[in-house]
Amino acid sequence: MKLRKIALVTIGVVCGAGLLAFQRTADFGFGNDDSPTNVKSEFYWSRLAYTSSMESFGGFGGRGRRGWSSWSRDYPKADRQFLIAMHRLTRIDGRPTEQVVTLDSDEIFNYPWIYAVQVQNWTFTDAEAKRLREYLLKGGFLMVDDFHGTEDWEHFMEGMRQVLPDRPVEDLQSGDEIFHTLYDIDDKMQIPGEQYVWTGRTYEKDGYQPKWRAIRDDKGRIIVAICHNMHLGDAWEWADDPNYPETFASMAFRVGLDYIIYGMTH
Amino acid sequence: MFQLLFKYPGTVFTKGRFVFLSARPAWLLLVLILVAAGVLALLIRARLRDAAPRLHSRRAVAVWGMQSALVALILFLLWQPVILISELSSQQNIIAVVVDDSRSMAIADDNGKTREAAALAALEGSLLAGLRKRFQVRIYRLGSRLTPVTSTQAIAPMEPATHIGDGLKQLAADTADLPVGAILLLSDGSENTTGMSDSGIAPDALEALRNRRLPVHAVGFGKTEPSHDVELEDVSVAASTAASARLAATVSLMQHGYTGEKAKLSVRDGDKTLAEREITLAPDGRIQSELLYVPVGGAGAKSLTFAVDALSGEENLNNNAMTRPIVVSDAKRRILYIEGEPRWEYKFIRRAEDDDPTVQIVSMLRTSENKIYRQGISDPSELAEGFPVRAEDLFGYSGIIIGSVAADYFTPLQQELLREYVDRRGGGILFLGGRESLSDGGWAASSLNDLLPTFLPAGNQNFHRNSATVELTSEGVDSPITRLLDDPEKNAARWKKLTYLADYEDPGAPKPGATVLADMIVGHRKLPLLITQNYGRGRSAIMATGGTWRWQMSEALGDPSHDLFWQQLLRWLVAESPGPVTASMPARILMDRGQINLTAQVRDRQFEPTADAQVAAHIVGPEGVNALIDLTPSPDTPGQFQAEWTAEKPGPYLAEVTAESTGDKPQELGSDVLTFEREDGVAENFHIGQNRRLLEQLASATGGQYWKPSDLKNLPRDISYSEAGISVRTTKELWDMPIVFLLLLGLPVAEWLLRRKWGVL
Repeated sequence: MKLRKIALVTIGVVCGAGLLAFQRTADFGFGNDDSPTNVKSEFYWSRLAYTSSMESFGGFGGRGRRGWSSWSRDYPKADRQFLIAMHRLTRIDGRPTEQVVTLDSDEIFNYPWIYAVQVQNWTFTDAEAKRLREYLLKGGFLMVDDFHGTEDWEHFMEGMRQVLPDRPVEDLQSGDEIFHTLYDIDDKMQIPGEQYVWTGRTYEKDGYQPKWRAIRDDKGRIIVAICHNMHLGDAWEWADDPNYPETFASMAFRVGLDYIIYGMTH
Repeated sequence: MFQLLFKYPGTVFTKGRFVFLSARPAWLLLVLILVAAGVLALLIRARLRDAAPRLHSRRAVAVWGMQSALVALILFLLWQPVILISELSSQQNIIAVVVDDSRSMAIADDNGKTREAAALAALEGSLLAGLRKRFQVRIYRLGSRLTPVTSTQAIAPMEPATHIGDGLKQLAADTADLPVGAILLLSDGSENTTGMSDSGIAPDALEALRNRRLPVHAVGFGKTEPSHDVELEDVSVAASTAASARLAATVSLMQHGYTGEKAKLSVRDGDKTLAEREITLAPDGRIQSELLYVPVGGAGAKSLTFAVDALSGEENLNNNAMTRPIVVSDAKRRILYIEGEPRWEYKFIRRAEDDDPTVQIVSMLRTSENKIYRQGISDPSELAEGFPVRAEDLFGYSGIIIGSVAADYFTPLQQELLREYVDRRGGGILFLGGRESLSDGGWAASSLNDLLPTFLPAGNQNFHRNSATVELTSEGVDSPITRLLDDPEKNAARWKKLTYLADYEDPGAPKPGATVLADMIVGHRKLPLLITQNYGRGRSAIMATGGTWRWQMSEALGDPSHDLFWQQLLRWLVAESPGPVTASMPARILMDRGQINLTAQVRDRQFEPTADAQVAAHIVGPEGVNALIDLTPSPDTPGQFQAEWTAEKPGPYLAEVTAESTGDKPQELGSDVLTFEREDGVAENFHIGQNRRLLEQLASATGGQYWKPSDLKNLPRDISYSEAGISVRTTKELWDMPIVFLLLLGLPVAEWLLRRKWGVL
């Protein structure tokens, strides 16, 4: 029994180290490293690797980050599929591979646009919440995606209130500028995850209606764009799956590109 | 002594004309002197060998010199030298005695006596009596104008201003039909008319005196320098500025008696102190300039008071403050920003300007190959067709920013418009570094290369996404563009500590005449970062990076460095860009007189000067002054309109100049606002020391003389040598001057004595 435990821990450590190396959290592209692997660009698709509560993932317990965790849902295929579309459809000089960023260092300030998923699981220490708050108030932009239903919303808001305690969340109207930066998106639908392919349902849990929401700064600029009850990441990831409807994938790309252009202009 | 030797006073020699009465030509005298000197030289040389060694060459030259001088003097007398001089006829001429009775003459710096008392004492002592023996005397008092008085009893130092030039001009005019032989001016030289920093007399006054050949003999009263005083000399500040701006003001001051001491310099708007700082006073009599940054606050016409706090023992506290009227405008200047690709620099420049109430960025961003995202537009049609192709569309912007956009994105017509925008319209253009900027965007080969402040480097690989730190140049330390902190040293240190730039582009070497305000340090290389230059009527600049956004994201939350820098840079870009109507006047402070010359330059939408306009000025002032005056076209300068007006009452005035097109449907072409202030009795408080330079210049320019009060004995005699009034030309013979006889005797005697001493008799 004792040997079995040691073996499991060893396997866990090795796998974790491998994943850690794969996720490239150390090299942020800045500085004077001109090596061929360090492709320097204006825009880095930055995925937030937050600390998550593991209770909702089958009782692993404790706090996890760099191992398999909820922040890495659809990672990295969704990111790279999206970057291909961004490269083809805009003039943004973006790196073709994603960047993982964390809140445990000031490196995050080098990436003014970040994307986070499964945010019902995020938790912050006080230092992390403060850093994210400063990031947003200085001009950073956060897009959150892939959380569903009432319970997820509450968990998401627990973290959000820790970061921005007094900022109200508002429902975005179709006429809002964020839906008209690159594409005019007046008619939106609920964008389902891959589960739509075998269930035919666009919703998960009790998230029947898509919620396009946002938090603004003092000047009315959106600093947190919230995609609740939908799963744009899956739509990007499965855009090349013949069974996943093209309508959802196209809408997801358009929304993502509008959000990026908004984040780079406001 | 002089007169003992030369028979006549010095004035005869300085004012008279030297002539020979002999009919023989003057050149013959010169020839004969040279011939005589040559013959003497030959004779002496011939006998030099016999006399050696007792008469060596130096002694021979001395002998030759004395003999030649004697012969030259005799020849000179044979030509009958005389001085011709005009002299006033006795009792037929008037001497105008002008006594300054302005307030500065009440200063008691003449051994406890006031300057006025010293002047009157000099007059009543022996001067008036001496003059009256030879001339008729008329007495005037001079303040803001000239007034005749019957006696010196009517003179008291009460006048709030001194207009010496105007007073003398008035005297020349009022006495045109009188035989005035000379003017005797008793004054401290405190002239207020031409402005406190200018000590000259107006040319028209000098012209009037010269036409009458009236000499002015000036007697100066008062100490030329105070012993303990601090005085503001001038305040140089822009006539208008934008709301919430930090206005740069240069205060010039001079002190006596407080070298090295500390003083507090402040700026107030009414009772509210806007800025203050401690300064160390420079050595006595030296003008020191102090730069102040004044947060002007909200819009409106304001009168700023610049002051140095009183120091203990100061003799004059009335010259410690000056006011300057300024217009603070909240009109938004619009800048067209074209960006070729979405990038962070674009976002953060826009955000910086969101906090600037005076600058609005209208931007067009190429989001995809065929899509342009516009922000800050005033209506849906603005920039809908892309970058403007007509002058009237482009010239409406006060500044232009060109981001990462290749030169060939602009058509040749648009490139020419951009050049004209800077050169003729007088706008400001800023080029940013980027993937498709400067040399990497092909700008070196474009027709706009001439416009850039640097010689762009060769190739198109000069943009790098590598870090670069920054530091100010010496010009940057003093520039309002790069001033993050008021203290120059702290400001330079702050720049060095700014977080690194995300990228940089080599902009090449600055052109002659360009100014580098900041450098980038890349490894061991130093490259220009911010370069500015004037081009035509406008200005251009390069900010050779697209990575200052890190100053916003990576500095502490609330750090103002990024936003402040961009606000200051863009304000510089647009500050000097003229509007369609530009109003101006020679001076905004009117000292004791209200006449103004108002000028307006009017341009149409293509910024060509236009004469087809109706231009009017609405002036409001103190005590309900409200006037509407029309400006008339200048016959000399196209598009220029002008008017004269008089501000009768002291106080601040505001003039709004508006131009409308002519025709059936007049349209407003534009307007401009300026402010000015009439100050009565203030100039008299400044420059309280005797302005001896002015009095000497006045006397010299009119053929008169400057006199010290202690040396007036010969004035009644010397004043008679004048060509004005009723005068006769007299001939003063020179042959019988005692000095001539002394030389005739002295030269041969001296030669004999020397030769005797040397043994060469």
